[in-house]
This record gives sequence, structure tokens and C-alpha cells, in this order.
Amino acid sequence: MFTAQNLISICITSILTAGLYAIMSYGLAIIYGVMKVINLSNAGFLMLGAFMTQVYSQTWHLDPIAGAFLNMPLFFLAGWAVYVTLVRRVRQALPIASLLMLFGLWLVLQNVALTVWGSEDQSIITRYTYKALSFFDYRIAVTRLVVFVVALAVMAILHVVLNHTYVGKALRATVQDPQAALLAGIDTERISALAFGIGTAFAGFAGGLMTLLFSFTPDFGAPFQLKSFTIIVLGGLENLAGVTIGAAILAFAESFAVLFMRASLQNVVAYALLVIALIVMPGGVASLFGRRS
Amino acid sequence: MTRLRPAAAAAPALGVALAFVPLVAPHNITVLNLGFFTFLYVAQGLAWNILGGFAGYVSFGYAAFFGLGAYTTALLWLHGWTPVLTFPLAGLCAAAFSLVVGVPTLRLIGPYFSIATIGVGEAMRILMLNLDNITGGASGLNLPTTVPSKGWFYIASLVLAAIAYATASWVRTSRLGLGLAALRMDLDAAETLGVRTALFKNVAHVISAFLVGVCGGLFAMYFQYLHPDNVFSFTESISLVLIALIGGLGTIWGPILGAAVFFAVQDYLQTSYPTFHLLVYGVLLIVILLFEPRGLAGLAARLAGRRRAPAPVALAPPAPGTVAPPSTPGGGS
Repeated sequence: MFTAQNLISICITSILTAGLYAIMSYGLAIIYGVMKVINLSNAGFLMLGAFMTQVYSQTWHLDPIAGAFLNMPLFFLAGWAVYVTLVRRVRQALPIASLLMLFGLWLVLQNVALTVWGSEDQSIITRYTYKALSFFDYRIAVTRLVVFVVALAVMAILHVVLNHTYVGKALRATVQDPQAALLAGIDTERISALAFGIGTAFAGFAGGLMTLLFSFTPDFGAPFQLKSFTIIVLGGLENLAGVTIGAAILAFAESFAVLFMRASLQNVVAYALLVIALIVMPGGVASLFGRRS
Repeated sequence: MTRLRPAAAAAPALGVALAFVPLVAPHNITVLNLGFFTFLYVAQGLAWNILGGFAGYVSFGYAAFFGLGAYTTALLWLHGWTPVLTFPLAGLCAAAFSLVVGVPTLRLIGPYFSIATIGVGEAMRILMLNLDNITGGASGLNLPTTVPSKGWFYIASLVLAAIAYATASWVRTSRLGLGLAALRMDLDAAETLGVRTALFKNVAHVISAFLVGVCGGLFAMYFQYLHPDNVFSFTESISLVLIALIGGLGTIWGPILGAAVFFAVQDYLQTSYPTFHLLVYGVLLIVILLFEPRGLAGLAARLAGRRRAPAPVALAPPAPGTVAPPSTPGGGS
């Protein structure tokens, strides 16, 4: 069981999974970072992203990767609209109000999807779905590799945008200190709408990519939603770079847990990590290594 | 005792009136079933509201208590106990688990507590699915079929709702309730004034978990078949949240109205669209948060035109000048 080959193969799986986990959690982290709102509707948009990608695939024979990219502008607009019509109006209330409102939105999205597409499992089969590449003794599914590379590329673009454009810098400034950002002349209200748009765009994009790996139903988003929470809590909530760290930790923990427990218990690892991380290290993993105040 | 307000007398009167239904219509299965479920969820909504409404700690994990109660009754019943005698134990089992969960997680402030409870609830469901030698796992658990009449269940569930009503009313006006209201409005201020916030939150959690556990026990006896995906489901958890929120968070009448509307809508839409009521409730939830944070109870009060000062609500914006909500999960402990 603990042969070197086994361990390497588990590591490869973990790294590939981490890429997917990071891309699906980024949206949640951006929205949380900018406005301290926990976006429970993320799961709904993830699911909707998958279904929209299937719609493109059926009507125009669009590849899921292209579909995922097509989701981005559409979901950006949807997110912007959700912020302006709903979230903005409860931001002055207690944080639980926005959480509950977005939970309501999730319920709506989920049940609209259920009415439109029914509750059967859906999947998209492409030419490369069942193909695998061989490196030495290791075989890697093409779909996993493609998803990983695309996710990495998109995150690299996001990184450049966040660090080298005015909008990106304004967004990061708002994450760090909304009051100071406002005083420095940043329109934080617009940045919030923008962040909600970007966050939702990421959910739609990740949902599109996931159609390559998983079958999906209208209930599809929920387990991934909880995993995303685990990831951003591990990453330190307000720390966008922490998302990749959190994603890696969760992916490795899940992959190695399978060596010790039933595969059907795998999701418990994420949920247990979530509760433990929330209680023990509210500052994320980084706080364990940093200075203790 | 102050003078008895009409609203306070209305609930017991309504309860007594509803108790006559099985006498009038002993064979109307539809009405008796609808009554059973409505009262069962009135009881649970009232119980949930003790922590979620009075203290403002919105939990998405109450299916764990419902499920534990259901399985406690089921397993003892299979070992030859009389099911009714197992109800207190079902409650105790749920209450004990609520302590295990509550002591660490209730230190988290509002939204983080909510997220943690989703994790706990889902983890419990998966664990129960995998403990197949105890719970029967994915094939479920068949229970004896020797049960009383539908009328008996109707009354039993009405009694539970009455107990939950009495408990919630008592908690609200007691020292405990006042402490919960204080810590809901400002945790730090309540702490400074000597409210033992950690203790109060946990007591509220235990009381509500006990009641929900007993409801789980009664449900097991009624349904005669248990499956982890059924009693531990996320839908069960969110039903309680929706019932209390739509009815009116932190009010006594809220969960009663909420459950009545919930089952009326569900019953009406069940045949054509099995999950459509959740869509309706999602929309209602958004509308209520936007326009009437006090829920249906608030709306009723508004329609009745009572000109009381609005009761402080868990979701109302904090008064200007109060501290901004802290942004890290572990505030205030």
C-alpha cells in the first residue's frame, strides 16, 4: 500500500485536484475579502455553470473548456446584478442577513434548475474524456490535466490583473482596509459590485470546467461549496494567495485519507477540517507559522 | 402576571380547538397527516428559534439532532422498549450531542457558526450512512409496524408543539431569554454586564436540541422506516431555518405561522412539483429579508396596525455608533 509508486501517484492526483479546488474557491475568497459576505449562492452558480456549459455543448457543440470561458462574461453580469439588486441592500444589516439572503438565492437557483432540467444525472462526453497520458509508469487522465492547466492559466491572469492594473490594486486595497481605500478615493461600492461579478464569474467558470470531470445534478454544488469554505478558511479568509495553499492542503488530506478510511467517508475529511480550522486557526494555516500575538 | 394579552391567550385556545379535530374527523387521513407534520415542525421551529432567533445563532445543522433522536427511539424500540418511553432518551441523546458540537462552535461569531454547523450536519449524515451495523446504512432501518392510529399521532404531535410553545414562551421572558437577547444585540456589551454568554448560548442550544430530538423520536415511530439521507438530510435542517425565518425570527408566533404556511404550500405543490415549495420559500426568504425582517409575524402585526415600538430583531441593522461586526471568526470569547 505504501509503495513509492503509490505515494507519487497520490501526489500527482492531489496536485491536479488542488488546481480545480483553487479555481472553484477563488470567487468565494474575493467576495469574502472585499465585502465580508459569505456567498452561499456560490454553489448555485457553480451548478448553473455546469448546466449552461451543457446547453452550449448540446446546441452549438461547444467544447466544455470554451463553454467555461463563455460562462465568465455571462456570470459576471449575473453577479453584478445580484449585488446591485440584493446584496447591497442588506449590507448595512448584520452579516447573517446577507448570508441568509444568498442562501435564499441558492435555493431559488437550485429549484429553478430542478424545474428546467430535472433531477437526473447529466454529463458531457468529449473526444478526450476517456483518454489518458502515460508518463513512465503513471497514467494521467487527459481531462484532469486539461482542467489543471486551464485553471492555472486563469489564475495567472487573475494574478497579473490584481497586481498590475488600477482595478486590481483598488480591489486588493479594499480587501485590506475598506475605510482606508474609501479615503484614498476608491469607489468601494463599485469595487464591491465588481468583486461580486468576478466571484460569480469564477463560479460559472469552475462549474464549466467541472463538467469534464464529474456528472452533475441541480444538487451538484453543495459538497463543493463546503470544500470551498474549508479552503478559504485554511487559507486565512482574507488572503487571496492563501486559497492555493488551502486548496493544496485539502486535496492532499483527502487523497491520503483514502489510504486509511472508506472512500465514501472522503467528504467527512473536508467537513472535519472546516470545523477544526474555524475553531483552532481563524487566521488560516499561515497564522500557525507567523508571529503569535 | 400582567394582564393577559389576546395574542397570549390565542395560542392555547387554538391548541385546544385543534385537539378536537381527531374526534370530529377520525378517518380523514389527509387532515390528520397534515396536522401531524405541521405540529411536528411547529415544535421544531419553536425549538430552533430558541437559539436561532432569541440568541441570533443561525444553525444549519439541526438535522443531526432530529436524526439522532429518530435513531435513538428506533434502536431502543427494536430492542423491545415501548417507543413512547424512549422519547426522553431521544431528547437526551440529541442534547448530549448538542453540547459536544456547541461548546467549541458557539465560540464562533454569527456567520462562521452557521458555516460550521453545515459542516457538522453533513459530516453526521455521511458518518451515519457508513455506520451500517448500527443504522442499517444505505439500506435503511425497518421498524415494527404495530403503531397507534393517525389520530393518536396527531394528538402526540400537538402535545409536543404545546410543550415547545410553553418552553419557548418561558425561555423568552426568563433570565435566560433576556441574556440571549442581550448577547444577540451586542456580545461584548452583554459579557461586560455580567451575562455568562458561553453558558447561556449552550443552555439554549441544549434545550432546543432536546426538543428536536424528541420530535425525531416521534417521527421514527410514525414513519416506521429510517434512512440517514432522510432524517439527517440538509433539507431537514433548512426546513427549520426557513420556517423560523419566514414566520418571524425571534418571535413566538413566527414558527407557528411559518410551519403552517410551509406545509400548506408544500401540500399544495407536492403532487405537481415535489420540490417547488423550496423555490417559493427561497423567493419568500429574499423578499422578507429585503422588506420585512420580522417575517410573517411582523407582517401580521403591521396589518393589524398595532402601533408598538418595533421589537428588536436579530436581522435589524445595528444602531449607529455600535461596534462594527468583527471580521474574524473567533470574536468575543
